[in-house]
Amino acid sequence: MVNAIKGLFISCDIPMAQFIINLNASMPPSERFIVHMLDPTHMFVQPHVAEMIRSKIGEFRDQNSYEKPQ
Amino acid sequence: MAGGDGDRHRAPKRHKSSAPSKAALVDESAEFDYADDFDDDALDANTEVKKRDFTKLELKPDHANRPLWACADGRIFLETFSPLYKQAYDFLIAIAEPVCRPESMHEYNLTPHSLYAAVSVGLETSTIISVLSKLSKTKLPREIIDFIHGSTANYGKVKLVLKKNRYFVESPFPEVLSNLLNDDVISKARISPEDSLGASSFTISKTSGQASGHEELLNGMDLAAATEDKETHSFEIDPSQVENVKQRCLPNALNYPMLEEYDFRNDTVNPDLDMELKPQARPRPYQEKSLSKMFGNGRARSGIIVLPCGAGKSLVGVSAACRIKKSCLCLATNAVSVDQWAFQFKLWSTIKDDHISRFTSDNKEKFRGMAGVVVTTYNMVAFGGKRSEDSEKIIEEIRNREWGLLLMDEVHVVPAHMFRKVISITKSHCKLGLTATLVREDERITDLNFLIGPKLYEANWLDLVKGGFIANVQCAEVWCPMTKEFFAEYLKKENSKKKQVLYVMNPNKFRACEFLIRFHEQQRGDKIIVFADNLFALTAYAMKLRKPMIYGATSHAERTRILYQFKNSPEVNTIFLSKVGDNSIDIPEANVIIQISSHAGSRRQEAQRLGRILRAKGKHQDRMAGGKEEYNAFFYSLVSTDTQEMYYSTKRQQFLIDQGYSFKVITSLPPPEEGPNLSYYTLDEQLELLGKVLNAGDDMIGVEHLEEDSDGKALLKARRSAGSMSAFSGAGGRVYLEYSTKGKGAPKKPKDPSKRHHLFKKRYQ
Repeated sequence: MVNAIKGLFISCDIPMAQFIINLNASMPPSERFIVHMLDPTHMFVQPHVAEMIRSKIGEFRDQNSYEKPQ
Repeated sequence: MAGGDGDRHRAPKRHKSSAPSKAALVDESAEFDYADDFDDDALDANTEVKKRDFTKLELKPDHANRPLWACADGRIFLETFSPLYKQAYDFLIAIAEPVCRPESMHEYNLTPHSLYAAVSVGLETSTIISVLSKLSKTKLPREIIDFIHGSTANYGKVKLVLKKNRYFVESPFPEVLSNLLNDDVISKARISPEDSLGASSFTISKTSGQASGHEELLNGMDLAAATEDKETHSFEIDPSQVENVKQRCLPNALNYPMLEEYDFRNDTVNPDLDMELKPQARPRPYQEKSLSKMFGNGRARSGIIVLPCGAGKSLVGVSAACRIKKSCLCLATNAVSVDQWAFQFKLWSTIKDDHISRFTSDNKEKFRGMAGVVVTTYNMVAFGGKRSEDSEKIIEEIRNREWGLLLMDEVHVVPAHMFRKVISITKSHCKLGLTATLVREDERITDLNFLIGPKLYEANWLDLVKGGFIANVQCAEVWCPMTKEFFAEYLKKENSKKKQVLYVMNPNKFRACEFLIRFHEQQRGDKIIVFADNLFALTAYAMKLRKPMIYGATSHAERTRILYQFKNSPEVNTIFLSKVGDNSIDIPEANVIIQISSHAGSRRQEAQRLGRILRAKGKHQDRMAGGKEEYNAFFYSLVSTDTQEMYYSTKRQQFLIDQGYSFKVITSLPPPEEGPNLSYYTLDEQLELLGKVLNAGDDMIGVEHLEEDSDGKALLKARRSAGSMSAFSGAGGRVYLEYSTKGKGAPKKPKDPSKRHHLFKKRYQ
């Protein structure tokens, strides 16, 4: 019997993959979203988390970039 | 915020209207954009935007020949490709603050302070306006003209004079003085003359009473002042309050900026010092220019001269002292630079050896003769504790003397309170501050305006590079991606304290560093300094690569030995330095800097480190644009991507970017074919390194804390004390006593028995 799950395929660089894994690990077990790690740069996740991941990554990036005050 | 709103409304439109505006271009381009779609946006345009809308400015018919744009808000843009650039630049640097100076377009800002500096170097209001309007492409906006008038009108009405070690505020206009005295700060600072105690009691209340007070003071006036046809009125102020008074008089408060000039040629009270510049000391054109600003009309003015590191600040200082030819107190930041300054004085001037004395914690040379040069540190002068007898004597001497020139090196590093102390202790006719980087992260830099004086001159780094006076540096930011394992640890919450050491020890960064060292040592034969603020990383890198290193705890002897080898031996081409190397160590041989970790976002540190390699090397003609070696110095900053380091790194670069430097981003270091030639190639090696990093204690991974160069405090440690002979020989022995813990100093008993640990409960029941 084949089990099929609808999901989201993410392809990113190594550090960002680690960021997402870390994000996943920080969630309570019921909300973890990574279905399968395919390799260090590809993963398969629950379909509803795309926006959440995007905003978290955006936040993380903002912390690490400096803008000259006007 | 309304301003932000306006921008957002406009943003999509800008993209549509095909204007090729890149944020990286100078603001200028953005202004043209605003102009483009001004009409349809006029309604929601708010004040913020209106200020930047310059559509109404009238373009002169021959605008192409004129080099600058003057905007109503005081900003000025200068085209550096204009044939009139040189003249316009000299003029602008005198009247305005440079904001950003990239290659083809400079931005300046007119401020009350900058205009105050302009008039203080002898420019008149009418000249400023007429020259500015001549150079401007547009008709000068009304606001600018009013602004210039307003900022300069009161200049020169009040003078601060030092006479026989007492400070006087002088003015030919009694009404101005009474105006000043209406201010609380100033009236408090006033010292009432003893012979007119009565007058002083009503200084604040009645103006007429004050006038009589001035008359009485006039009796004691010098003849020199009386020879001016106008009679001068003055009152004395408390020396410790001088800076407060000066601050109150600045344009943003009472707006009577004080004129501080020293007519050293007619000063017959203080003895002359016999010193001349040696003939071989030839100041370069920009050094001449900075000096001419200081000695504009035959008198010496107080102020700050800003020159990049390696451009010859010390020659400027020595030349200034040679012109004034009076006693000179030279303040440096630490003992090493004291030695360097003393050496520079001997090198460039004909001063006799016994006229120059150094005063540091381990080198207290008495000064002889009536006049002389004393070199010391800020700490020595400002030190507040008990001093040794020797230094107390010398300090007393410094306190009592009337100094012709107070020469202050690296003014940007000294905390304001220390300055205040120094300035209140030493009485000088003229103060000259020297610095390379007039920035501070705490924005206290404006304090210098009233503590020392206006900025007299600031050199343009790129012009000096073009002239071949300082090295042409290629700046590069090397992006090193974090490895999977290191980044995973970096993200963990429990490692928040180790973040820094994790991104510094990133194996990819290590490999990039190793590659760069190898490349420059072998291919170019360069001398390399590697900077790391993080001690753990410093030791790890240096040990792994087998290179010598210097950090705070390295002994003086070892430092000297390592530096000597670095300078002379062909074997030692790379040294690792912690932040001790930022300022004090002079290494003219080095021409490559690799920075692997740094102190957060300090712009100053970045500039100071770059300064280590700015001293020009090689033949002059090779260094000119288009010569054999266009770039002869390299500055690499290694940054781990996706970490906080990216934030800091960008922030740190701001100062250098404002000076016109551009950072090249390199992403492919080390090249993949290097593979196993460099360390940490295999995963096992990387994991071992990671283990080491994670196991290091918190105390090891922190940033190095340098002990301040506390000359004064060092004295305390070496104090004499009386004691028995046996105690000194170690035979004194200890006497152990049993004493009751219930006595005074004993720890308090816990009040609540229920809180006692269960093991002990029984004992007390």
